[in-house]
Amino acid sequence: MTEMSSSTTQIVTTRRQRNQFISWPHLRSSLIWLVAVAAIGLAASHLLEVQAGKSAADALRYTTLFLAITISAHGLFVQNSNESALRHTGLFLSILLAGQLAAEAAVRLGSVSLGTLFLGFAAAAAGRHAWRAFSSTPQLRPLATWLTSTAGVAAVIAFLARHDQLLLATAFTGITGMVIGCFAGLAGVRALLSSPNGTFAVARVTIDEAVRMRAALLLLVLLVVLIPTLPLALDHTERLEYRVQFFLSWSLGSASLILSLLTIVFTSSSICGDIESFRIHMTLAKPLQRWEYLLGKWLGVMIFNFILVGLTGIGTYTFAKTLAGTQATDAIDREAVDQHILAARTAVTPSPASPTEREQAIEAAINKLEQDAPDYFRNNPAAARSRVRFEYDWAWHTVAPDMVSTYVFHNLESAKARNAPLQLQLKPRVNNVEIDLAEVRFAMWLNGRPWPMQDGVHLAQTLPSQADHIFSLPPDVIDEEGNLEITFENKNLVSAGATIPSAITFSPGDGLRLLYRAGSFRGNVLKCLAVIWMKLSLVAAASIAAASFLGSSTALLLALSIYFGAMGSGFIRDALMQYNIAAGSFLGVVMGRMSAAWELFLSGRFYEAGRMLLGFVTDFVLAILPAFSNYDAIGSVANGLLFPLNDLVACCALIGVAYPLGFGLVGWAGLARRDLLPSTT
Amino acid sequence: MVIHMDAAEGIDVKCVDLRKTFRDFWMRPRVRAVEGIDLEIRRGQIYGLLGPNGSGKSTTIKMLLGLLTPSSGRVAVLGKSPRDVAIKKHVGYLPEESYLYRFLSARETLDYYGRLFKLPRKVRNERVDRLLEMVGLDAVEHRPVGEFSKGMQRRVGLAQSLINDPQLLILDEPTSGMDPVAARQIKDLIMDLGRRGKTVLLCTHQLSDVEDLCDRVAIMFGGKVRAEGTCEDLLTRTDQTTIQTSALSDSVIAEVCSLLKERGAQTVEVDQPRRRMEALFVEIVEKARAEGLQTSGAAATSGVADFLKDTVVADVVPRSAPAATPTDGGPAHDVDTDLLESLTRR
Repeated sequence: MTEMSSSTTQIVTTRRQRNQFISWPHLRSSLIWLVAVAAIGLAASHLLEVQAGKSAADALRYTTLFLAITISAHGLFVQNSNESALRHTGLFLSILLAGQLAAEAAVRLGSVSLGTLFLGFAAAAAGRHAWRAFSSTPQLRPLATWLTSTAGVAAVIAFLARHDQLLLATAFTGITGMVIGCFAGLAGVRALLSSPNGTFAVARVTIDEAVRMRAALLLLVLLVVLIPTLPLALDHTERLEYRVQFFLSWSLGSASLILSLLTIVFTSSSICGDIESFRIHMTLAKPLQRWEYLLGKWLGVMIFNFILVGLTGIGTYTFAKTLAGTQATDAIDREAVDQHILAARTAVTPSPASPTEREQAIEAAINKLEQDAPDYFRNNPAAARSRVRFEYDWAWHTVAPDMVSTYVFHNLESAKARNAPLQLQLKPRVNNVEIDLAEVRFAMWLNGRPWPMQDGVHLAQTLPSQADHIFSLPPDVIDEEGNLEITFENKNLVSAGATIPSAITFSPGDGLRLLYRAGSFRGNVLKCLAVIWMKLSLVAAASIAAASFLGSSTALLLALSIYFGAMGSGFIRDALMQYNIAAGSFLGVVMGRMSAAWELFLSGRFYEAGRMLLGFVTDFVLAILPAFSNYDAIGSVANGLLFPLNDLVACCALIGVAYPLGFGLVGWAGLARRDLLPSTT
Repeated sequence: MVIHMDAAEGIDVKCVDLRKTFRDFWMRPRVRAVEGIDLEIRRGQIYGLLGPNGSGKSTTIKMLLGLLTPSSGRVAVLGKSPRDVAIKKHVGYLPEESYLYRFLSARETLDYYGRLFKLPRKVRNERVDRLLEMVGLDAVEHRPVGEFSKGMQRRVGLAQSLINDPQLLILDEPTSGMDPVAARQIKDLIMDLGRRGKTVLLCTHQLSDVEDLCDRVAIMFGGKVRAEGTCEDLLTRTDQTTIQTSALSDSVIAEVCSLLKERGAQTVEVDQPRRRMEALFVEIVEKARAEGLQTSGAAATSGVADFLKDTVVADVVPRSAPAATPTDGGPAHDVDTDLLESLTRR
């Protein structure tokens, strides 16, 4: 290493010495080449214009000019200049100019992509030149390289924009913007953390480690490249609505996954690496508490993540907007993109006229069932109750044959105040097996008035079963109290052999609801980024806790299991609620299990009782695992639904603070009294 | 400064019946690394901890630093438990190998450790400048430490151990991996620090280091201290006498020998003294440097960083003996005059 650097120095010195005067032989040979190339090129292009046409001749002219510039630059700046600043600037400009010309020549020949390639090559060459030129002044080296490469990339973007490759130009701009943002953010953060504080010092070194270690860089590149290039890869014949939706969920989802994995791998390897290579000895022999060390690691990872999440946000928002600005399939598609997806809508579901009556009805149904079929309740009473409730809900959303059902939507005052159009989302289904009759027919009344009216006639609706439909309603249908009553009349056809038509059921939840715009797309994306960041906070804290008492591979495994557990726990919980245990507090579940197991034990079904008790383990794991799916901000953004502020606050408090604090305590307990030697596990 | 019983008595490090047994995952005892050590290091002493590999030196040091928890026994550093991070403000530590962040440059490394001591930026920059100059790395301060040779990394390690101007300096193998010139300079530095009233705990198996530097020595084996005392006590041979003169002719030698035998000397050996290899090496390299030959590695270490203050202690324990037996390469180091100097300087 040292020998190499000394020999480089010597080469540099000899060249400088040689360049102290203008070297006439070199200049002469350059001039001869220049004249020869120019003459041959111009003559040949003149001939070509007569023979083949203007564009080919132009291409040859550009190529000649390109060669001429290269030769002059070489002759003037490489051989004959002893002023290094002049030499570098001249060379840099020549490289870019030559690249520009090569690119134009390629365009004349009909290939924009070849031109882009030439220009990109020139940009890379310019960057490389800057890197080499500043080898003796390492302080200026990164800055010079960055400026040069950015100028090169700007040239590429301008070139693409000139030749109508707007999407590609945007993608390039996005990538460059993200990279520059990343570096600017890192520089800013390093400056912020420069106060003399132990925790900050650890955080700063952690960020440096994350930036300078190649593994982290790989994932970063993945992130920066994946998001901007995705819009290019999507099928252009697909409806724009679905493309934007797919882009949003995919880019945010993949970024969240990549960042989580990066956080887990980096955090645990950083701490375990410190312990296994004894670097921690140097750090903890200084006046730094062990918890300060862990806090510093967490802070560093979180700041690094903040920058990356910010990048993801900038990239996703810009490219979603760009993508949404491209040609839509038709007017409906355009409206769906603008009003449904690039929006933040609040959803209102109908509520029963009297909640107490509803509860009483459900209780009555349960009581009746308990008397009629006591076996139904024996194994798991709580689950049976939740089944009854579910069935009641289903029935409530059903419009019986030849009947009229009225649903009341409350609390629409803010929608009325905003005076924005209401979107009525319907997903009706019928039980007809015959294909011809698999259509839903119904008539609608808004606040008792028939709707829609056309030429004085009340129109009935005919829709395919089990598909989403959105009707746009004027905001003035909401009454003074902020309520809207929607009445449905079942007008289904009667199938052959049947006496009555089949019932219409709106699936509970998203099958019958009113949506209205309640916030901006940008605000929603911001909230989503905050939620992703909070989840990363938990993941980082879990990795720290694992790394504080385990060896690197075991810690990695444990942290990964916590992450995937948190990802999946919501679904497992839903599944269990459906089949096994009822919703409710952990204590309620435990008591339910205890009494059920006791009854089973008394009735001599020991195996069943044991199984019931073993379920405690699942309950416990589910109870302590955080549930990421409760805060599905990415789904909200992709579906254009407002992510509620309450959920954001709850997510910050629980996922962002409470859980990390708990994991932090575990980590502190793990490290506090530990002998700082590599773990054997 | 920490005020406590031990500290007030001028005892910076104290171990009483210190033991450490390493256990495996199932808490079964695996290795008895330290088995009942008693140590007492007074303020201003240069104390040598000697022993072959695996004798428990590093384990003892790590317990002094609170990196390992003793299985039993008592440790006090600067009068407090090593678990108390407040004392670490006054402790400098150089581990047996340089465990540095490979991606940080030399300057960034020192800056990082300076931040851990909560030194304000101005002080930090000054000290880092001085230390880099002192260990001869100022020319390569922007290169990542991972590219450094072992000796250069060692210099970074040594520099970071001094950044807080420590009262107690714990050095584990400070000269390992260094060329003899650098090793000599490091030894001079340690001696100078000792002269300034710093307490130095030197842990090594380089016997020459100990002989040159230490006031007191403990020799460990198998987790126990086998011998302890001043170098003088341990090394002086009472059964022999050496006389040194300028070169003598053969006839004079024969005359002296016969005279000695006449006076009852039983064995007389005459020898031409040899120089030590270290002295020769140092001389050659110094000469080459003086002639201005270039090297791309670390430069010569220089001076002692001036922020390393003299410790002013009311009861500096008088050194029991001159530390070093002056050899023809090493500087003559008269402790008593130095001590006087340091006291009068106050």
